[in-house]
Amino acid sequence: MLGYILNLLILVSISGILAGSLNFIIGYAGIYSMAHAAFFGVAAYAGALVAMHVSTSLLVAIPVAMLICAALSLVISLPSLRVRGEYFVVASLGLQMIAFTVFSEWKSLTGGLGGLTGVPVATLFGYALRSLESFLAVSLVCLALVTFVIYMLARTSFGRSLRAIRDNEVAAAAFDKNATIIKTIAVAISSALCGIAGVLYAFHVSFVNPESFTVDQSVLIMAMIIIGGTGTVFGPILGALIIHLLPAGLTYLTFLPARDLASLQQIIYGAAMVLLMVYRPSGIIGSSNIKDTWSK
Amino acid sequence: MLLLQLLVDGLQLGAIYALMAVGFAVIFGATRVFHYAHGTSYVIVGYLFYYLAERLHLAWWAAAAAASAAGVVFGVLLDRWMYRPIQRDEGSFFTVFVASFGIAVVAENVIVILFGASFVSISTPLTRANDIGGGIVISHLGILSMLIAVGLFTFLNWFLAKTDVGVALRALSENPELVRSFGLNPRKLSQYAFAIGSLLVAPAALVATCVTGLTPTAGHRVVLISIAASIIGGIGSLRGAGLGGLILGLAESLAVWKLSTGWSEAVAFVILFAFILARPSGLFGSKARV
Amino acid sequence: MSDTPVLRLKSVNKRFGGVVAANNVDLDLPPGIITTLVGPNGAGKTTLFNLITGNLKPDSGTIELRGQSLADVDPRGAARLGIARSFQDLRLFEQMTVFENVLSVMERSALPWQPGGRAAARERREKADATIATVGLANWRDARSIDLGYAEQKFLSLARILVTDASLWLLDEPASGLDPASYARFVGLVRGRLAHGVTICLIEHNLDIVHGISDRIAFLDQGTVLAAGEPRAILNDPKLAAIYFGERR
Repeated sequence: MLGYILNLLILVSISGILAGSLNFIIGYAGIYSMAHAAFFGVAAYAGALVAMHVSTSLLVAIPVAMLICAALSLVISLPSLRVRGEYFVVASLGLQMIAFTVFSEWKSLTGGLGGLTGVPVATLFGYALRSLESFLAVSLVCLALVTFVIYMLARTSFGRSLRAIRDNEVAAAAFDKNATIIKTIAVAISSALCGIAGVLYAFHVSFVNPESFTVDQSVLIMAMIIIGGTGTVFGPILGALIIHLLPAGLTYLTFLPARDLASLQQIIYGAAMVLLMVYRPSGIIGSSNIKDTWSK
Repeated sequence: MLLLQLLVDGLQLGAIYALMAVGFAVIFGATRVFHYAHGTSYVIVGYLFYYLAERLHLAWWAAAAAASAAGVVFGVLLDRWMYRPIQRDEGSFFTVFVASFGIAVVAENVIVILFGASFVSISTPLTRANDIGGGIVISHLGILSMLIAVGLFTFLNWFLAKTDVGVALRALSENPELVRSFGLNPRKLSQYAFAIGSLLVAPAALVATCVTGLTPTAGHRVVLISIAASIIGGIGSLRGAGLGGLILGLAESLAVWKLSTGWSEAVAFVILFAFILARPSGLFGSKARV
Repeated sequence: MSDTPVLRLKSVNKRFGGVVAANNVDLDLPPGIITTLVGPNGAGKTTLFNLITGNLKPDSGTIELRGQSLADVDPRGAARLGIARSFQDLRLFEQMTVFENVLSVMERSALPWQPGGRAAARERREKADATIATVGLANWRDARSIDLGYAEQKFLSLARILVTDASLWLLDEPASGLDPASYARFVGLVRGRLAHGVTICLIEHNLDIVHGISDRIAFLDQGTVLAAGEPRAILNDPKLAAIYFGERR
């Protein structure tokens, strides 16, 4: 039982990083990226490969993955943000699809559909994180760091510029804000932070394969943000918790066939998205009556 | 000769992609809705066709007609019950997109529950390869799909040029501000747009069910190809979308000459990125309207 | 006071399809005064602003700021050249507070930090607070701009302009709909800046109040400048009044 809970908390931490980093650009900058699962995957593969061939230290794997994710984000953001935000959505969808193809086809690097197995145990300052407890501790620290970084960025001029661009890009341009560069930097930061989650995931489950990084995963991450709320720093973490508890909750409804649980989850989240968009005029962004806590 | 065969295959695939793409472009042009659920129309048509023909053993033409009608109804109802309410309130591009995406996710997973996650297909003698000379093979279905594409595009051409609704749709596509100025009824027009757009995607689904088989997740790729083709052809140009679809089909097929089939699927998106980078207005789009 | 105009439009033309938005427009904005653009709806006043700031490109003609051509300038470039512009629909940063709206327009660097370090940051904050107090919004400092009343939003829009170092202001119906007391306060704030070397161009719809605020008036209709000069002469011209109130040939 303890192992189950520890495992769950580790996954929640990882998801918390995923959701928080995505919320940084969706809830905060109004940039809708559908490629977050792709970055998650790239980081996981990068982390796994670093661990298997270079070093098992988190202090090596994580920065490498972050750098790769940030650089990769430039591939979609530089061309499309230069044009319009809508093109970015399309480009991110395209990247998501290409990523899956790359994961499945580049067999020499990624192991194809079977993926990479046997990722060694993570180490930190030479100490092997063999126990679930130790890995959870590290994951929580990472989550805290990521959340802190996002919170701090929010309070800076950069955070204000992002939100200004989100709220009214024309006005922002009239006051000499360079929307393209600011958004590009935001996307790079978001992708890099997402990379942390990818590395942690690879070490935790000790294998990576393409199935974990599909559009379905993107749906889950989006659901975390939608359900947890985009206006606060802790909303996405709450969303992550709920998303991970839901499957467990669903298993108690024994009349539901077990093999359909994953699909039912997706149906619930998809329906939630539709209903929210229809009945909440401000959409995902903006907290209608709640004071925007980003301004604190 | 392999290249020639790939060219023929590319034309078949291009015809299919062109249908999807123009369907999407008609809808987007007239309503400015990012109809991600375009892929869902496709999957609904395909799976219903499969269910009626293979499971219930209906005559194939009846199944095809019923399935196509279902796709059209889906598109029109989605417009009525989801897109219209959203666009009335605030309706930003992204709000509509998320809602559309949500529907696609719901539909995809309902299909998984009903039909399972693996391929379904219909076996028919129409898919048998026939030698048409010079070692080039093509199936009856392949020829049929190209004929259907040509036929539908001819009809669309006539419709957009000669009927009131069609002219209005085309004008809308090129100049959205005109709608309000000329007092056209946007509600009725959007209904037509969704009906036509969803109808165009039906043959693609029907053919795919027989040839490549269908999976619940097929919708994602359908809508992405459609968008990619629209961007390549130029947003606002229906002809461009069709040409874009043809180009993508040819490119994907010819890519097999050098790459494995898995990699060739990524070619479409590489081309998309190239256009976004170098020429976001596409081949026929006006630069100013990007 | 020098005579060379701060802004000069010469033979500016702009069409949208069949609609003539600017028809051979010649317009000068003399320095240190308020020039008001008046005219019926759709006359092309906002279009001129868009042409000046680079939101639109003219089909032909020249636009010069102190002799420098604005032909290749986009809105950000216009801001850098000292042009500040407000919008008819305000375009406030709605989810952000009053303070953040005013502070943010001073933060122009695209990087995650601004030049000047802590000292400059403190200066900007102080300047923001001072400006907010000047326009009378101190009580609403931490309110979201979308929660403000109509008049407060207008003053916030002005505050964003005030806090920049712009020398040419283009204000699009900045005070429309304000009650007389607020309007007087608004005009006072705007006029007060003229002494600091600011040149102002206003678009104003309400002919009653145009008289009180303008040093010079240009009357536009259907993209054409029909008259430009002393306010009294233009406002008393019956032909122009007829056009304004809708009687056309």
